[in-house]
Amino acid sequence: MSEIGLTVNGTKRTVKVDDDTPLVWLLRDTLALTGTKFGCGMGVCGSCTILENGKAVRSCQVPASAAKGRSFVTIEGLSKDASHPCQRAWLEEDVAQCGFCQPGMILTACGLLREHPDPTDEQINTAMSDAVCRCGTYPRMRKAIRRAAAALRTQKKP
Amino acid sequence: MISSRRAFLKTAALGGASLVIAFNGRRLLGAEKETAKKEAKGKETGKKEAEGKDATARFKPNGWVRIDSDGAVTLTIGKSEMGQGVRTSLAMILADELEADWARIKLVQAQPGPDFKRLGTGGSFSLGGSWKPLRQAAAAAREMLIAAAAAQWKVDRAACTAANGAVLHAASKRELKYGALVADAAKLPVPPDPPLKAASNFRLIGKPTKRLEGRAIVTGAARYGIDTKIPGMLYASIERPPWRGAQRKSSQDEKALAIRGVRIVPCASGIAVVAETTWAALKGRAALAVEWGAAPKNAFDSEAHFKRLDDAAEQKGFVTRKEDAPAGTRAPARTLYATYLYPFYAHAPVETMNCVADVREDRCVIWAPTQAPNSLQEEVAKFLGTTPDKVEVNVTLMGGGFGRRLAVDYALEAAEISRAVKAPVQVLWTRTDDTRNGHFQAASAHRLSAGLDSTDALVAWRHTKAGSPHNLKLPDPAAVRDAGFYQDLSWGVYDMPYAIPSIETAYVTVDLPVPHGPWRSVFAPSSVFAREAFLDEVAHARGADPLAYRLELLKGPDTVKAGSLTIDRPRLRRVLEVVREKSGWGAPLVARHGRGVACNIYDGETHVAYVVEVAVDNAGKVRVERVVAAVDCGLVVNPTGVEQQVEGGIIWGISSALLGEITFRAGAAQQATYADYGVARMRDTPLIEVHLVPSEAAQPFGIGEPPVPPLAPAIVNAIFAATGKRIRRLPVRPDDLKV
Repeated sequence: MSEIGLTVNGTKRTVKVDDDTPLVWLLRDTLALTGTKFGCGMGVCGSCTILENGKAVRSCQVPASAAKGRSFVTIEGLSKDASHPCQRAWLEEDVAQCGFCQPGMILTACGLLREHPDPTDEQINTAMSDAVCRCGTYPRMRKAIRRAAAALRTQKKP
Repeated sequence: MISSRRAFLKTAALGGASLVIAFNGRRLLGAEKETAKKEAKGKETGKKEAEGKDATARFKPNGWVRIDSDGAVTLTIGKSEMGQGVRTSLAMILADELEADWARIKLVQAQPGPDFKRLGTGGSFSLGGSWKPLRQAAAAAREMLIAAAAAQWKVDRAACTAANGAVLHAASKRELKYGALVADAAKLPVPPDPPLKAASNFRLIGKPTKRLEGRAIVTGAARYGIDTKIPGMLYASIERPPWRGAQRKSSQDEKALAIRGVRIVPCASGIAVVAETTWAALKGRAALAVEWGAAPKNAFDSEAHFKRLDDAAEQKGFVTRKEDAPAGTRAPARTLYATYLYPFYAHAPVETMNCVADVREDRCVIWAPTQAPNSLQEEVAKFLGTTPDKVEVNVTLMGGGFGRRLAVDYALEAAEISRAVKAPVQVLWTRTDDTRNGHFQAASAHRLSAGLDSTDALVAWRHTKAGSPHNLKLPDPAAVRDAGFYQDLSWGVYDMPYAIPSIETAYVTVDLPVPHGPWRSVFAPSSVFAREAFLDEVAHARGADPLAYRLELLKGPDTVKAGSLTIDRPRLRRVLEVVREKSGWGAPLVARHGRGVACNIYDGETHVAYVVEVAVDNAGKVRVERVVAAVDCGLVVNPTGVEQQVEGGIIWGISSALLGEITFRAGAAQQATYADYGVARMRDTPLIEVHLVPSEAAQPFGIGEPPVPPLAPAIVNAIFAATGKRIRRLPVRPDDLKV
């Protein structure tokens, strides 16, 4: 057990957990931020994706000891009122079915759009194919990513 | 014959270590439909539940509708949400008939108990089965509110109307909100047979409507079973035997017990490691050193099973449909034969199995992502040696169901471990647990033959399915003499829609020692795969266009009976015509690209046709480029929901046709995660066009499952068009298509 200090959704948190605790469990069990989902624990499903400096990170692959001093954003921190362009686009395109994988998908898309503000189909395929949606919401996700990309580009224009 | 829904959703202990569901298809889900109707009817005509002591505050004429004096409308949803959008669709049906203000509705999830004795979600029966009873329940409430307003105004009831959460009297321009009427309405008798709205007056039904959980989902606020947190809750992970029936020879627990807070609790499924966090439980489990011993030589092997299935498909079997050729029909001049093999699949929902149980001296509370709340309640009560009323079941959102959560094995585990450790416990399955220990979609073999006369007319059709009922227990001897039993197992075989003079279909039961049970589209996918692909073979053998040939075979009488189903050929023709038109069927394609067609009527109700375009590269890799779908699922409640389900069914079909299968060696499933049990991802997603065909049906039918069965055959038919190679076994293997 160690004291681990990290920033989650802009708030400094200190938690006492085993050093090897994957961040997904630190978030879910210790901080009760259950929007970050467990789907596999081995980096093959993408459900536990969170953001660090705008980049998508698999929280099941980051041990607590390595998370020390770093700053992360979970789905709860993207916006509480669904106002983030990705969240809005997801709602406008009626993407979700069961919704379980969607927090991870939305944050994966955020990471993609940071790197590629106007992504090609191939770039969408590459970034999003790391994640699994068993309901098959991919066609709508692709539309939502394009919609969010357009909204983000407009937002950035002075 | 299994004849009650209780039996249908019953789980049966097998080998003491795992559980499977006893499932009997349409007959029982059909029975459920009827009982659901009767139950709802009984509610309306029977007791009035004004919630006596506080009748001024709320109006609750039945289990489905409650209106509070502040105008809040609470609708009870009796179906479990697993992504099919059922909470939204059922709420639309209730709110429309009630004339409620959509912005003011709240939903509560029904709990099993005296009000709800038959909750259960499966078979794509939710909308068809709920349509009338829910409308009657909401209409009764609406009529009472209108009557209360008319009485208050001392005007003729007929001069009043309801809209948007209020009653209006147009002549005097008076309006009373529902909230203001609840006290008076609660004193009125519940009308036994309230008038239902005309379809032309629907305000919500038929309009594209956003899923009610949408906002909660995209903000991470939606709570699934896995998100349940109870004060003092412990976490458990279960080390399971590697092959069925394995007994623990020895285990070294010291390393696991050295982890802080870890307790080891032997249980029916294996060895539970219980701790204060999920991670400690997982670490403890990894630290266990358990010796299970080697599997016996005759342990289950899927390749050997395929041989048995293949042999079995040559047997006579139980005849599920037999139509002799009318006199004057020419004898076959040549006969085509083929055998199709369909593999095992796992459900693999992204939310793995999990359940929280809090077992106390005198009661038990469960939080479960479940499709079968009453069955779960009964089974947990039985296990704990108590009565169902002592088991409270809270149904959570599900991160996918697909039939897996009709079984209640994971809930029994939670109850067993909670009782042992005397604390609330969450049991969580790992991805590997989930992939290897579910109830699988059973493999099957299909032997088909087609007799063509001297003019090449199709005069004889034979289709024998060798498979395994969704039940590890031997069926009741009475049931095995019942055609309905085998027809249930032969969805897509015996209800073959085409007009052929001589038809004989049959089912051969093959024992299957691994758990197997309902999966998306239940018994239909394997049968429709074989039927629609073989029909394609027949069309090509005759040099006919496969789409035109289907339309030709759908001539003759417009409706025909097959078992208890009525096949409506014009509706199937219509969806085929739509995909022909919208897909550009017949337009030239480049080399190694091809189009395939397939269609199906799911359980006599929902009609689906696809044209699929594929590209096959020189390495044999198949890419589905485009899917054009036409669907007639009766009256459409939520077009958005229908489109989502069709898109999802197509993606599901791509997974099963091209990617994952479960294989068994030495008694154990060989795949563990999405890495080796492939499922479709963004890169596998084609362009999808969904065309909803206007239906003359006056009610909705299911759409969660019907899109699945015709997709795989459309793909293999397209592969044939692209390569000239006929695929008769799923999933498609690139090696077979290499140049």
